[in-house]
Amino acid sequence: MRTSAASLTLVAALTLHVLVDPSTVTAQDIALSGATIHTAAGQILEGATIVVREGKITALGTDVSVPDGVSIFDASGKTVIPGMLDNHSHIGFDIRDVNERSTTFTPRYRAIDVLSPDERYWYDAVDGGVTTIVTGPGSGSVSSGQSAVVKTWGDDWEARILDPSGGLKIAMGAKRPHTGTSMATTALLRERFIQAGEYQAQKDAWTEGGEEGPAPAVNLDLEVLADILRGDNRVRAHVHSAHDILSLLRLKDEFGFNLTLHHATEAYKVADEIAAREVPVVGVPLFIRIGLVEEVMRAPAYLVEKGILFAFHTDDPVVMSKHQRYNAALAIRYGMAPDDALQALTINAARIAQVDDRVGSLEVGKDGDFVVIDGPWYELTSRIDRVYVDGRLAYDREAEEDR
Amino acid sequence: MRPSRLIRVVVAAAALPQVVTALAPAVAAAQIVAIRGGTVYPVSSPPIEGATVLIRDGAIAAVGADVSVPAGARVVDATGHHVIPGLIDAMSYYGIAGSDLNETASPSTPHLRAIEAYYPFGAFGDGEPPDSPRSEDLLMGGVTTHYIAPADATVIGGQGAVVKAAASTFDGLVLREPAAIDMTIGQRPAATFREDNRSPGTRMAVIAHLREQLLRAQEYQVRIEAWNARPESERSSSPPPARDLGLEALGLMLRGEIPARIQANRTTEIREALELAEEFGFHLILDSGISADAVAAELASAGVPVVLGPISHPFVSGEEIPDRDEYPSPDERRATRLQEAGVAYAIASFSRSFGSLGPAGSGKWLLLDAAMAAGYGLSEAQVLRAITLSAAEILGVEDRVGSVEPGKDADVVILDGPPLSVTSWVERVFVDGVEVFVREP
Repeated sequence: MRTSAASLTLVAALTLHVLVDPSTVTAQDIALSGATIHTAAGQILEGATIVVREGKITALGTDVSVPDGVSIFDASGKTVIPGMLDNHSHIGFDIRDVNERSTTFTPRYRAIDVLSPDERYWYDAVDGGVTTIVTGPGSGSVSSGQSAVVKTWGDDWEARILDPSGGLKIAMGAKRPHTGTSMATTALLRERFIQAGEYQAQKDAWTEGGEEGPAPAVNLDLEVLADILRGDNRVRAHVHSAHDILSLLRLKDEFGFNLTLHHATEAYKVADEIAAREVPVVGVPLFIRIGLVEEVMRAPAYLVEKGILFAFHTDDPVVMSKHQRYNAALAIRYGMAPDDALQALTINAARIAQVDDRVGSLEVGKDGDFVVIDGPWYELTSRIDRVYVDGRLAYDREAEEDR
Repeated sequence: MRPSRLIRVVVAAAALPQVVTALAPAVAAAQIVAIRGGTVYPVSSPPIEGATVLIRDGAIAAVGADVSVPAGARVVDATGHHVIPGLIDAMSYYGIAGSDLNETASPSTPHLRAIEAYYPFGAFGDGEPPDSPRSEDLLMGGVTTHYIAPADATVIGGQGAVVKAAASTFDGLVLREPAAIDMTIGQRPAATFREDNRSPGTRMAVIAHLREQLLRAQEYQVRIEAWNARPESERSSSPPPARDLGLEALGLMLRGEIPARIQANRTTEIREALELAEEFGFHLILDSGISADAVAAELASAGVPVVLGPISHPFVSGEEIPDRDEYPSPDERRATRLQEAGVAYAIASFSRSFGSLGPAGSGKWLLLDAAMAAGYGLSEAQVLRAITLSAAEILGVEDRVGSVEPGKDADVVILDGPPLSVTSWVERVFVDGVEVFVREP
């Protein structure tokens, strides 16, 4: 499935974005020089150069020579950070497709089957320096389906997909929509995981018995859970209250699956329990639109202190994904060290999304995804000048503002 | 006419005996405060380094680098800090319970008054009784004055008010009431009534409905004036026209005593609001105005100011999942474009409770939000003006608040860093010369 250049150009025109037309450039070789580069891999390099060839970082440092023929962008005085990730987004969905409210439990649904490559809000993410997102169905039912890990820009849709099976969304709490209480939601999940174990046992027995007789009927929902029980897939759980977080931890203890807590508004109340199980948290957007209470604003710094692997998210369209950077800015305001906050936007977010072999930090061999900012990366008054994805210029502020 | 407010205070006092003491003035009448050594941003003039702000009897007495401090004054050392006017949030629903924001029984309720739902006493039944009414969340963000109104689910929501974030008595909070009639056109009210299969369920019906309300108000004015013009003898023999509180309120607007505030986002609706203002001759303030920059020239020539929604997110309606069709092409540069076109504008929070996640995303974020506009073309001075003096001018309270100038109310905020930095915090807030907030370390 390849997006036609014509349709992308049309969308760009409709949304009045002067973006670089992906169809007119090939995978580029590019170098940036003179920048303050935050690698998110343990270094802040002053006056540094980064070289990208064929979309991958080939050199990075203060003593790097740029190969002949590679064009150099003078980024003196600018800040460069890795392309940011957003671990929880709904970009690419028609908003009416996010929640199937007639049903309660549908792990068989897949985001990848409905994502639209030319939805205009991808550009919001690119403008905001968010180059990789985990996008998936909503929290309208106990399990609404599977997410996908996707880059936000590029003309080759299939190349943009980093992981078509980026975790199963489940949602804790009451009214999802046929569970009247939180207890019922948790009980339903427990029953389904038990059924998945039994389902797998039946399949294994059939295989071990020489595949005699008809194969057990395929159950697409239990297939997903069985994958999760084997460790081949993972759970992304929408959860707010401390008691629902504890219920999830109980389920994890019982079934041993890979779990990430999303939103986790009250995670700070049970941080020790979360840390003991090494469960990552994708924390509730701190952004101004939501206006959280002070305790929750301080939570990201606290969770990181507790040693919990932490990332920010926007839940776009709840908060526009172009504002992902400001979640980190506000966490810094509320006590998080700037380096920790940057990692929660980049490398730690990539670890949680399980794509840290490709993105999340500026290191030789990784994708050339980075953001050029005209001041300190976390100040509200700083602006993003340029965004590169796979070494190609995906957003150029100057071009946009000249329109 | 404020009986209900008196009743509220009396009821509160009866329920919480400690509140009685709050009704006594908390200000020592002749107290003098000198805020000394900070960088002062009067907003009405350029910043002054190492300046003193002298406060006497709740008002600003002097501002400058060589102001002498009278003996006996309380001196607040602001060396290395930044001193700005109390911020003004030109649209907020803070202090109004979510259940009180929208009266949807009828598409238009101009007789309703936001002040009658305003509750600046902390959470109901929660915690220690406050010394006096105060909006803690606003004060911690440096907001000392805000506009409250019924929200936007219907066409004419009712009457708004300009109130302070702290005072010694409830009456002392009120700067102006009613301050405007609040209306909304476009998809938001249409959706409210369409859901119930009632009218107005389309954008067209919303406009037609509003025009009819304004016509009824005009006719009512004519009837009242005609009756008033009759000789005394006739007036004593026949009853006056029946009173209609809603049409009376709209009469204030049609006579130019208070403005209309119309929330409109698409260019079509903004032009419709301009047309209605022209047709019925009322003063218009455009609220939210997502597309206002696209019609900036028309707004400028009509002299219509805009109270913009937040820079950081354009969705003023408070739904967890915003209706993006109602907010076309949100653009952080719209304030800059209004500035360039010569349109008066304020940046406001439009804050209210958000989904199920908790309390209103309140004015405590106003300064941080407006700071973002500085990344999109506004200067620091322009950003500050949009949340102080410009807001005061639009709200019609610039004689009292909005700048650090002699004669104005002593509403002053001390910040521990540059005003637009994300890591700067409000250290102290003075309202009417009284220190009402001190940040705990």
